[in-house]
Amino acid sequence: MPPKRKAAAPAAATAAKAGRTSALSTPGPATPRSLDSSMMSDADEDLDEDVTEAQKEREELLGKEADEFVNNWAISSKRFQNQGEGQKRDAATPYFGKRDFSGLPLKSDHHNRPIWIDPDKGTIVLERFNVLAEQATDFLITIAEPKSRPAFLHEYALTTHSLYAAVSVGLRPKDIINTLDRFLKTALPSSINNFIQQCTNSYGKVKLVLKNNKYFVESVDADMLQRLLKDEVIGPLRVQGSDAITTTYAPTMGGLVIPGTKNAAGVRQAALQKPGDKPAADTAKDPDLFAALNEEDDDDDKEAVHAFEIGDTAVETVQKRCLDIGYPILEEYDFRNDDVNPNLEIDLQPNTQIRPYQEKSLSKMFGNGRAKSGIIVLPCGAGKTLVGITAACTIKKGVIVLCTSSMSVVQWRQEFLKWSNINPDDVAVFTAESKNKFSGSTGIIVTTYSMVTNNRERSHDSKKMMDFLKGREWGLMLLDEVHVVPADVFRRVISSIKSHSKLGLTATLLREDDKISHLNFLIGPKLYEANWMELSQQGHIAKVQCAEVWCQMPTEFYDEYLRANARMKRTLYAMNPRKFQACQYLINYHEARGDKIIVFSDELYSLKKYAETLGKVYIYGGTSQSERMHILANFQHNPEVNTLFLSKIGDTSLDLPEATCLIQISSHFGSRRQEAQRLGRILRAKRRNDEGFNAFFYSLVSKDTQEMYYSSKRQAFLVDQGYAFKVITQLANIENTPNLAFASPQERRELLQMTLVDNEKGTMEDVETDDLFGKVGGGRGRKKKGLAARRTAGTLGELSGGQDMAYIEQNKGANKQLKKNQKAERDTFFKKLAREKERNRG
Amino acid sequence: MSGTQSYQLSDYLEKLPATSFRKLYQQPSTAFAIFRRMLPMLAKVFVQALLYMPGPLPLSQLDDIWVKPEGRMQRDRALAALRSLHVAQITPPGKDKPQEIQLTTNFKNSMRLALEGGGDHKSFGVPSTLPIDPTVNIDFLDRYSRKKWEDILHYVVNSVGVSSDMGGGGGGGGGGSISGSSPKTSVKDLLLAGHLVDRRPDSKTGIVITKTGFTFLLESANAQVWTLLLLWLEASEQRSGSRMDSIDQLSFLFMLATLELGRAYDTQALTATRQNMLPDLVDFGLIYIPRDKRQYFPTRLATTLTSSTSPLRSVSEGFAAAASNASGDAASLGAPASVVAEAKGTIIVETNYRIYAYTSSPLQIAVLALFTQLNMRFAGMVTGRLTRDSIRRAITYGITADQIISYLASHAHEQMTRVAASTGRSVLPPTVVDQIRLWQLESERMRTNAGFLFRDFDTPEEYAALSVYAEEIGVLVWKSNKKQMFFVSKYEPLRDWLKSRKK
Repeated sequence: MPPKRKAAAPAAATAAKAGRTSALSTPGPATPRSLDSSMMSDADEDLDEDVTEAQKEREELLGKEADEFVNNWAISSKRFQNQGEGQKRDAATPYFGKRDFSGLPLKSDHHNRPIWIDPDKGTIVLERFNVLAEQATDFLITIAEPKSRPAFLHEYALTTHSLYAAVSVGLRPKDIINTLDRFLKTALPSSINNFIQQCTNSYGKVKLVLKNNKYFVESVDADMLQRLLKDEVIGPLRVQGSDAITTTYAPTMGGLVIPGTKNAAGVRQAALQKPGDKPAADTAKDPDLFAALNEEDDDDDKEAVHAFEIGDTAVETVQKRCLDIGYPILEEYDFRNDDVNPNLEIDLQPNTQIRPYQEKSLSKMFGNGRAKSGIIVLPCGAGKTLVGITAACTIKKGVIVLCTSSMSVVQWRQEFLKWSNINPDDVAVFTAESKNKFSGSTGIIVTTYSMVTNNRERSHDSKKMMDFLKGREWGLMLLDEVHVVPADVFRRVISSIKSHSKLGLTATLLREDDKISHLNFLIGPKLYEANWMELSQQGHIAKVQCAEVWCQMPTEFYDEYLRANARMKRTLYAMNPRKFQACQYLINYHEARGDKIIVFSDELYSLKKYAETLGKVYIYGGTSQSERMHILANFQHNPEVNTLFLSKIGDTSLDLPEATCLIQISSHFGSRRQEAQRLGRILRAKRRNDEGFNAFFYSLVSKDTQEMYYSSKRQAFLVDQGYAFKVITQLANIENTPNLAFASPQERRELLQMTLVDNEKGTMEDVETDDLFGKVGGGRGRKKKGLAARRTAGTLGELSGGQDMAYIEQNKGANKQLKKNQKAERDTFFKKLAREKERNRG
Repeated sequence: MSGTQSYQLSDYLEKLPATSFRKLYQQPSTAFAIFRRMLPMLAKVFVQALLYMPGPLPLSQLDDIWVKPEGRMQRDRALAALRSLHVAQITPPGKDKPQEIQLTTNFKNSMRLALEGGGDHKSFGVPSTLPIDPTVNIDFLDRYSRKKWEDILHYVVNSVGVSSDMGGGGGGGGGGSISGSSPKTSVKDLLLAGHLVDRRPDSKTGIVITKTGFTFLLESANAQVWTLLLLWLEASEQRSGSRMDSIDQLSFLFMLATLELGRAYDTQALTATRQNMLPDLVDFGLIYIPRDKRQYFPTRLATTLTSSTSPLRSVSEGFAAAASNASGDAASLGAPASVVAEAKGTIIVETNYRIYAYTSSPLQIAVLALFTQLNMRFAGMVTGRLTRDSIRRAITYGITADQIISYLASHAHEQMTRVAASTGRSVLPPTVVDQIRLWQLESERMRTNAGFLFRDFDTPEEYAALSVYAEEIGVLVWKSNKKQMFFVSKYEPLRDWLKSRKK
């Protein structure tokens, strides 16, 4: 066991950066979190519930341990560095400091090889125009983290996590090193060689398998198991009386068919010819299929594996212990041999075909015929839901789906019904409003994170439901938008609900506070990450033109801005009248083109002000569920409603394929994730495959304010994905816009006065804590004043009326207008919704 | 780029009076050099035609024989060049007599001598009769001159004080024997005087590159050499205060251009003026002088002064490897414009502001370092990134956004040009180009208002009343209650208002 090093050492500090998914100088994960977000804090507002001190401490401790582990295993850690390896110096060397690797000799045929690797940090540079680029890309996506993927040269980073993922999908160290060497222009630096050797030696060697409902610790290396058995913690946890070590043969993909793939179609035909056969099992012994789905694994066929059994209760201890001693454990689920949990009748609709990249990602998950736990990263709109559903259809056991909001709970359920042949009664929903169980012996439960982690008083129904969830064994746990959930919540979810395999889905595996790395150990490695640009070129997601519009602050506003406090500054740059005009201009322009527009504002005051002044509909945290539904339906179907203002509740999981244009007027500091998520709202545009179609993404920024700085930070992720933000400093003919708002200095001054007065009085809440799934304002409860919205802490369920909370109507303008016509315009969507509700009650 | 180069020399020559030219053309080597270097193609044809002509030739005849009607422009240009360099005389147009052209006497005689040989003018150098050190071969001279020249360029880009080994990078120029050093103080002073660099005490090396310096870097080596030599000539002119020496010095430079590479020449056969020049020319890397000082060897930098082949490329193998490895700037070091245009570009600019340059030339890296934040270096490849800070730093040196953009565009990697050609878009990502310009604009935000300042009021009340009135009618631009002064765009309404109040 490597000696633990304190993070205080500078070497460890830099190493931590290399190990993490992002190298931003944000507070390290081990830093205690404070609940009040200071101005400069980049910490995202996430599902941080009112955790008790004890829990926080525990999380910190665990976090620290994981950190230390990561630090110990970073490449620049001394243990891998072979000092004095061919350093060559010349006049240009000082520009690079230690990062001059020109001493590494090039191979004679280096022109035909596509990659370089930096022996210090493991950064890999890939030539996309090289003949071998395609193969190299496939290989690198498996072993390294993609960092930058524009047109010509891509950058990847070799990290402990990425190697962990590579090992978990079945690559062996030997293969990794050989293949890497084959693609490298230079000789393989010895530090990298050591790094891979040592990481992979410790990674992925031990697996935790739930077989016949008993937990086994499994390894191909018998010595390893012996070592574990001798370990003071793990040894005693072995189930007494069972064989010390059993030996079987490693599983293979052998006939497992992921539904929705081409092979699946063939299997179905075969199954039809042989009625009575179990569907999709042992029918296709197609070697091609095997090769296609899992090229890397084919040597594993005949390998012996060894295992010993541990008790159910010991699982977490063993996992933790294995992490401590440097052998993180992989979880696998041999679902085909699970006879205890009943099978679920579910299959994809016959006409469903999954896309190549979805197939690729799933083949990583089901690589050896078992289900591995892990995370799949696909851009928004690229069909994450379908990947989840296909995984459910492959495992065919009880499934629990966790999403971020009750809105997406409804969407998930609909998607299940749409893509699979599951009996609607078997898809149950557990939210504040409806708590029903499925009819059969097994089924699917869709719920939210907050419902299952809520540890305060529950209603009788919820409590019963939770007991039901906890009392069962689930085959698959689908974790939607996995990036938003802090480690602590995960621990609670995972400890309370028992599942054999976990699949996390997200578009943006980044958090400004870098807590992502812990997900690797809590859920599993990142199994797959798609390339945004490639998908958009192939037409799977929309092509987007991104632009940043610079809006001058009028002098009087800027004056105030300079004097204002941090909160007021934010309000002021959002309320910049020039920004307002730009927004108005862009809305006019795009409505005339026939686009459907979403305008995002984090700032509630400006959201309302903009929407009301322009006479558009808006949704924010305080909008009731039924009103939200109503507005969304109108936005989708009513040709009169083309622009929708959304607060940050719309950032994620909102499926609006009609939207083709997006304008962002205020945003959450430098959150790269929010930017990417918002862009995701227009990636699934229905019209994306029309000739020459482009979706538009505008980010309006007040010039010379902090917004400029945040904006460049926010774009970092998308820019690295190959998106280019065009800066627009002047909108042509903006002054000719009819009814241009705040055109006169007089009006501008009035706006300024109003903004200042309104916000000083505090009548308007500028901080929205409802993140679609109810952020509880632990200790932050703000006293409401005057006639403003009543503000109470609560979950979304409560906010949406689930617990009979009363609301004060405060929406004016377009929202109200819509409401008036509500009765008359009640469309099919709501009828359907009502019917469903009816049925759920019954 | 050779265009820029010729201009510079011609700019200098144009300033010279006719007498200087007469003196210059006494040397056959000078006449020959001017003929080779300074004349347009058609003018050379004219010279050849006129050279052995016994008397003046009517201009109309010249036109009939050698000029096509559509070549009128070229003919005019050729004649203008001949006249301004005092190579030929053309009689003024008159009613009675047709215009005639003839070569100037000195030029004609020297040119004939240059072609025929003979005479004891020693204009083409006197080869040394002493034995030659066998180690001083062409390969050695090439490395020597390249080293000297790169030291100067490195000084310009601020990378002095760092030991360099020939700059061949992985190419293996076989260097190491000649260690890197910063150029002589005299050369530094010259660069300062020419405003190629400026003193800046706050910078690491005490000097920073200027806008002119950046233009200088982008030129071909030939042009660079001439720029420096002309600076030197002007400086020496100022020192001595007479032009006579500088004429001799200039002819010596032209003479050097006609010497043979790898051959030793006799130092003693030179005039005193020319002998005095030798140490400086050694500093520039134009000549090499062995320890006994009785011989001098012209280097490629010198022998190619008036030709169009590249001075810094050699046939020797190691050097060729280095040159091809360090294409881009190193290739443009002396490569004529046509070659530069065809040379493989090295730089890839991505939409995420990352820069990848396929180069191992320390010099090109140093140039990149002027406006990029460099990150990693591999054999034959460097990575970096354009940041707001790195561009702004370059801009504070006086390098303009357009210079950076044109540098990136002219050195763009073939992959970029190919993709650009196939998609019909610009070579550099437009967002990056825009952003570089915007970064420059950030520092140019001063706006001036013409107007009138009111101050020194008798009473604060008067100030208050008038400034309030100015604000009301909207002419007030700025006011300071503390200083009791304000600034308006128009004063007439205030004047009228004051008058009306006084009444």
